[in-house]
Amino acid sequence: MARVPLPRPRTVIALAAAALVVRHALGRGADRSPLWPMPALEDPISGRGRAGSGGAALRMMITERQEAADGVVRLRLTGAELPPWQPGAHLDLVLPSGTIRQYSLCGDPADTTSYTIATRLIEDGRGGSREVHEQLHEGEEVEVRGPRNRFPLVEAPAYVFVAGGIGITPILPMLRAVEAAGVPWRLVYGGRSLASMPFVAEVEKLGGPEKVSVLPEDERGRPDLAAVLAGAPEGAAVYCCGPDGLMDAVAELCAADPPGGGLHMERFAPGGARHRGGVDTAFEVELRRTGTTVSVGPKTSVLTAIREQALPDLAYSCAQGFCGTCLQRVVAGDIDHRDELLTDAERDDQMLICVSRAYGDRLVLDL
Amino acid sequence: MSNKAKARPAPVASEYTPLTARNVDFEWSGTPLHWVPGDPATTHTINVLHLLLPAGERWFVHVYKQALPLIRDERLRADVLGFIGQEAMHSQAHDQVLPHLARLGLDPTPYTAQVDWFFEKLLGDRTLPPGRARDWWLLERIALIAAIEHYTAFLGDWVLGADALDRKGCDPVMLDLLRWHGAEEVEHRSVAFDLFLHVDGGYRRRVRTWGAALTALVFLWQRGIRFFMANDPTLRDGKASLREFVRAGRQGLLPRPGAIARSIPAYLSPGYHPSRECSTAQALAYLANSPAATAAEAKPTPTRSTGGA
Repeated sequence: MARVPLPRPRTVIALAAAALVVRHALGRGADRSPLWPMPALEDPISGRGRAGSGGAALRMMITERQEAADGVVRLRLTGAELPPWQPGAHLDLVLPSGTIRQYSLCGDPADTTSYTIATRLIEDGRGGSREVHEQLHEGEEVEVRGPRNRFPLVEAPAYVFVAGGIGITPILPMLRAVEAAGVPWRLVYGGRSLASMPFVAEVEKLGGPEKVSVLPEDERGRPDLAAVLAGAPEGAAVYCCGPDGLMDAVAELCAADPPGGGLHMERFAPGGARHRGGVDTAFEVELRRTGTTVSVGPKTSVLTAIREQALPDLAYSCAQGFCGTCLQRVVAGDIDHRDELLTDAERDDQMLICVSRAYGDRLVLDL
Repeated sequence: MSNKAKARPAPVASEYTPLTARNVDFEWSGTPLHWVPGDPATTHTINVLHLLLPAGERWFVHVYKQALPLIRDERLRADVLGFIGQEAMHSQAHDQVLPHLARLGLDPTPYTAQVDWFFEKLLGDRTLPPGRARDWWLLERIALIAAIEHYTAFLGDWVLGADALDRKGCDPVMLDLLRWHGAEEVEHRSVAFDLFLHVDGGYRRRVRTWGAALTALVFLWQRGIRFFMANDPTLRDGKASLREFVRAGRQGLLPRPGAIARSIPAYLSPGYHPSRECSTAQALAYLANSPAATAAEAKPTPTRSTGGA
């Protein structure tokens, strides 16, 4: 009679171990899963889409073009079932040449069929604003992406808004929102001359002279920012958008005496396009876990600097800010995002080091 | 890197091409649920790609990032970097189809959440001590990717030549996604295998991972088709069937079972090298005319300075 040989102890142990590994891997999740027998990831990653992060493009029709002030045009873009937005949000506008510029939305967030933007013509600019002014007319189609919000309105018991010229665009929907909510607010709105300042009638209608100070420089000089900020109510949030000089002045005052609700600023190019990158300056990047610091020159990327000076095997691929391979977590520093991929939430503490840079002189990466 | 690697098949040099990721974008709003007109079974068989690839190719990238320090060959390193970017874009592009399916009434999340678990947890890094266990698991996963790439190259080559899909009147955006992806799979078909040979190349591991990848793919794929057919809001008693699969194969809308059966074991032949299969020229010819790839080519690079107005 043929005897079935007993399995060798090693085989038994190996099989039992394999079974335990499989059981451990499946966990108890499998029983609760909608499709037996695999467990599901608790926070699924796939399929969340990247609409609004540069992924989804919309074709929109220019249905209205108006002169909002001297050298400022306001465009109304119409489409169907537009993604919702909050005050402070901006849109990527793909110009006929393929150049992308970002403009703040200054219409009504409740309007789901159109977006409104405004831009100032800069005579000696590099063409973005010129293209808008010369080539975008009523009845034409443009491609947009977004909206995204890098300048959200936080909750606060009171608000102080400081706007300079075309910098009023992201502030305008904020004023409407806080006025509707009945929260106390103040606006200081400066500009070169009254004729060059857009939306003056709109803001004066929202609040009387006790709330709104319109200060054209040629008539009333520069605003006394120190007095405005000193008079801010307890816990007020300060929002500022305008030329660099104005923002630097506000930042300096707020650094000396921080407002309770914080200082919130949005960098702006002269024509009203959001800065998609400041000037290419040199700065330092500290690699916290590696324990070294590398210096990034004005003409090299963070990625190149790190690969050359510290970590040659650091992964990257497209080097143009779209594939996402070089994503890194940022521990500290003011990031100058220049990619097309990341969502607003991701931008809080992550960056694509192949294209994005720093506003200040230092970044700290979790590397 | 030992005597295990003595029988190294030579790659076909003329099939080599440098790799770069393409910044593609697809507009899904015009794509119908059954984008193979009147053929939900075929539509959903191919749709399973959108379920598996976002998580799967993200996992490729994750594993390959860890493999970079093992590479001692500059050209292979450049190939792997190009491969990573292409796979990342494949993952993103297929991921964008999923919300569109949900809008059409077919929510893929119950299934994709499991695929996410499969790649993030089951095949993830696990808590292994540094040293032999961790190295073994990395090599095993590199070998798995090489085996999977054998199957994806076959599918890519097939879809590039599947004229029946055009004659059937399939949605052009979906066809472009599949063929752009297929062409890049053919373009980079040797990278995963070359990396596997470079870091290990053991034949037992090759057989083992070939079997494991095949089992997992068959399991996940048939399950995906059944999931889609059962949840398609326009089908009353939607069921997946083998007969439909054979029928679609005969019509040229899916690969023929015979061709699949011939291709699968080819990976085990001692003389196998991916460059001996498929045609780089055919892939590059498609990419030269693909709407998505040519639009990506025309995009201005974001490295330009856009600070001013």
